[in-house]
Amino acid sequence: MRELTVKQLFEDKRKDFALSLVTEPHTINKRIVTPYFNRPGLALAGWLEVFTPERIQIFGEAEVRYLQSLKEQPMLERLRELFKMDIPCVIISKGLSLPPSVEYLANDLNIPIFSSRLSTVQLISQINRYLMDVFALEKTIHATLVDVFGLGILITGKSGIGKSECALDLISRGHSLVGDDMINMRNLNDTIVGRSGREFGHFMEIRGVGVVNVEKMFGIERVRREKTIDLQIELMPWQENTEYERIGLKANYVDHLGVKLPMIYLPISPGKNVSVIVEVAAMNQILKGSGYDAAEDFNRKIHEEIRKQTLFKKVQATENDPKDGNSK
Amino acid sequence: MIQKTVTVNSEHGLHARPAALIVKAATKFRSEFYIERDGVKVNGKSIMGVMMLAAENGAVLTLIAQGVDAEYLIEEVSSLIEGGFRL
Repeated sequence: MRELTVKQLFEDKRKDFALSLVTEPHTINKRIVTPYFNRPGLALAGWLEVFTPERIQIFGEAEVRYLQSLKEQPMLERLRELFKMDIPCVIISKGLSLPPSVEYLANDLNIPIFSSRLSTVQLISQINRYLMDVFALEKTIHATLVDVFGLGILITGKSGIGKSECALDLISRGHSLVGDDMINMRNLNDTIVGRSGREFGHFMEIRGVGVVNVEKMFGIERVRREKTIDLQIELMPWQENTEYERIGLKANYVDHLGVKLPMIYLPISPGKNVSVIVEVAAMNQILKGSGYDAAEDFNRKIHEEIRKQTLFKKVQATENDPKDGNSK
Repeated sequence: MIQKTVTVNSEHGLHARPAALIVKAATKFRSEFYIERDGVKVNGKSIMGVMMLAAENGAVLTLIAQGVDAEYLIEEVSSLIEGGFRL
């Protein structure tokens, strides 16, 4: 969703933000078009050059105390200038209040004012989280999302290649399912969070068996509602003449909603236990995340070995060289 | 069976990348392929095997291939190793 009304924000978050509407109900039909908020301290002081009127305006203690320090008429003048710019709404934190004349002005100019009992810091962090969630970039793709050792793994590949069967195997090995077939991805602060594209439970189609309910079959601990995606594994049929990653020194990445995710191309063929390979890929990714890269370590050890051999050869060459021996 | 002796011609020896190139070249052919060095014989189509040789610059390797396209395999792999892995 890329659009929000003040009314909807009020209905969704009235409890969480500890909100009450100060102005009349007719004021709250405004639209919110950006996921950002603003503290209008300088704008209230009269400097309106870089003011961002399209944002939710949060009045903390500083703003309220400043307005209270002004005489009634100048205070209303400043607020009128702000309200004329068609701001979506004002939220006053800490349960503070402004004089009734401000209320009348807001009613006149059709600007909603809310009061929140949360502290300014709490309110800002809550609003931020809510707006980021509402305005997050999103897309839905054909994939299966599982949680393996705490790592979110997106399994992709052509229809019928065995994504669901692989997930089922992982579930029966103790891992959990986030969603099958349709995965909705959202960019939240540059992490990709995935959840099932369908909201009505953890169903899965297993070819030859039909639709199964994973939650009913394996229990609530084998399913998750959403999960950050850390790795994508693309299942592909084994092809004779294709080159697959052998050492792992070269990392592949895939872009989702502007975020780079590590990507593994996994060739599958009969007799390969894909779920065990997915587990290994997950553990290897966890090790990489903690700073250990097996491919690099191995390559370093080979380099060392090669250097030793080279040195050994040089020493041997010097010993066998009579000229060099005489000079010492 | 075809054999050929080659000398490694690359500054850092057969570390991961050159080893991967050898294996990549060799797996294109159907023949069996081994590399021998100082009595140690490894499968030339196995990347771990080739790396385990730890062949330094100047090391002498024996390439052994057996099969229908052994000749071509040896030709390609030996030119790769002796050419310093410049393709």
